[in-house]
Amino acid sequence: MIKKQNELKKFWKIRGMGAALTAFIGLIVIYIAFGLINPMVFSGQNILNLLRSMSKYLLIGVAQSCVMITGNIDLSLGSLVGMSAMIVATLMVSGVPVIAAIFITLLCGIAIGILNGLLVGKFKLPPFIATLGTMFVARGIAYMVNNNRNTDNIGIKLGKGSADAFQQFFYYGKTAGIYNTFWISLILFIAFFFLLSKTRTGRHIYAIGSNVEASKLSGVDVVRTTIKTYIFSSVCAVIVGFILCAQAGMGNMEAGNMYEMYGVAAGVIGGVSPLGGSGLLLGTFAGAAVWQTLENGLNMIGAQVGIQRIVIGIIVVLAVLMDVVIRSGKKIKIANKSTK
Amino acid sequence: MKRKFIAMACCAALIGTALTGCGGNTTPTTASTEASSAASTPASASASGNVKIALITMDQIDQHWVTMNEGAQAEAAVKGVKCDFISPDTKDDSKQIECVNNAVSNGYKAIMVAANGPDAISSALKDAQAAGIKIIYVDSPANVKAEATFSTDNVSAGKQAGEEMLKALKAKNVTKGNIGIVNVNAATQSTVNREKGFRSAFTSSNFKLLDTQYCDGDASKAQSIAENYITQGVVGIFGANEGAATGTGNAIKAAKGSKVIGVGFDKSDTIKGLIKDGYLLCTMAQNPDIMGAKGVDACVDAINGKDLGGAVTDTGVTILNKDNVASAK
Repeated sequence: MIKKQNELKKFWKIRGMGAALTAFIGLIVIYIAFGLINPMVFSGQNILNLLRSMSKYLLIGVAQSCVMITGNIDLSLGSLVGMSAMIVATLMVSGVPVIAAIFITLLCGIAIGILNGLLVGKFKLPPFIATLGTMFVARGIAYMVNNNRNTDNIGIKLGKGSADAFQQFFYYGKTAGIYNTFWISLILFIAFFFLLSKTRTGRHIYAIGSNVEASKLSGVDVVRTTIKTYIFSSVCAVIVGFILCAQAGMGNMEAGNMYEMYGVAAGVIGGVSPLGGSGLLLGTFAGAAVWQTLENGLNMIGAQVGIQRIVIGIIVVLAVLMDVVIRSGKKIKIANKSTK
Repeated sequence: MKRKFIAMACCAALIGTALTGCGGNTTPTTASTEASSAASTPASASASGNVKIALITMDQIDQHWVTMNEGAQAEAAVKGVKCDFISPDTKDDSKQIECVNNAVSNGYKAIMVAANGPDAISSALKDAQAAGIKIIYVDSPANVKAEATFSTDNVSAGKQAGEEMLKALKAKNVTKGNIGIVNVNAATQSTVNREKGFRSAFTSSNFKLLDTQYCDGDASKAQSIAENYITQGVVGIFGANEGAATGTGNAIKAAKGSKVIGVGFDKSDTIKGLIKDGYLLCTMAQNPDIMGAKGVDACVDAINGKDLGGAVTDTGVTILNKDNVASAK
């Protein structure tokens, strides 16, 4: 009995676990509340839609969470989504085979990630400013790729077969009854989950987020870890770009607008601290699901968009408030102990 | 221990807001469904056989779409069906596709769509059709065959704009000179068609139509372009959408005592003010309320099994000038 209690305590004590569990409870409450207003929310087709549409927020959330755990931020994510959607679509429209187009686009995304990492890690630019710059650059590239136009249908030269395969793989197809989009994001989520919790790189990511100087002294290569983190986030953004391109069957210059902020929201709702050093990707999963459930549910019950924004805004602020309160509570506790 | 309490309190607060947030939503929903005499919860059946129609426009903010929704709601009340306005918050392909997907799983019998672009939404609409849902286009069609389309014939509306300008110039005994055109961009089909129609009105006249300048729909850019035209000594300027018309009117206003004739397209409170004060001659106001109303009629017909054959109906434009601008909605 005591042993069990200790295990429970240990589980609860994992940093960020409380917030992650709270987010999951919140998710269930919100979902049931919407379902009571409109039972169609519980329909199988809606659950499938929900899983599919939360995938893009999950990936962006994972990307932003990784960066936030290092104590930085990546504002270029949304633009990167648009840039990669445009690059991959333009390549396919001009007849480049699907696999090659995907590969080239990934390289372009990684290049932006390395640039972000160098600016923030090596040249010590404030991450807010550095990635604000690359945000504009990436969106500018998205515009220029196809001369200020959205692209034509991606199947125009490749033929219907290849284009369909691309669209099926990233958006419209199903595997084992669930849309591929969700499987893709779930696999990436699990990969990043293990990367953060079980590998040395993961520990370094947490370390430089809690204390850069201390981790530098203990031999963590801060520059390298920062670059790696920005590469991870860029790759996630590129995949979201593929998903949006597959969804529309074309490249849209404005794709992914504001997604970087959706990523922050998903992470923060799930208990990832914007101050760095703590947070679990499990929480980000719940955060992305909360975000999408709100969007889906408010749409299904026919609420106006203004209300949607207000509800989401309140939840984001409350989630961060909780983080701040818990942190300051801890400090008080430590102070009390030392005075004793 | 203290920490746990705080966490729990926050947790309760979070859930509390989530609940009140949802509770608050029922008010506007009820308000919007009152017209169709439906019960207070959207899920329960409406008066006539549980027929639900979805209206998905490009966004919910633009006056154009709000007016379209008003037209649709009024007609839905007459027909005794329920029409929900479930558009995305901003003009975003991905979000519009989600709205179509939601409409499919939410049990709508027909969807009225104003497509963001002709291609992006196509696959989602095909999925909807495969699920037995009738598609009606309002304002902007996509590349999938639908039951019917209700939109503005932009070529003919543009020609009317040209004819109005020609009439006004003749009335002032101006028979030659340059005319400038402020358009949105070269890619938007609707505004390109307006320009085509406008130019066609001048083919047998002595006026010279200058090269088109593009403002991306931005009123301040449009104003600089129009000011340049005025400096060049044009006799007339055509602004091909709301932003372009606003910029054109403001430029004529800024050039005090200018005799340039400005003609706009689309309406807004600003444009109506510019017409009232005499800076713009007139504007071609589209009729989104008619699109919405006729769209609902077509949805009901299609649901009842009537074959509409994919007909395209021009809902026309209303010419707003100094005489009728005060009475326009």
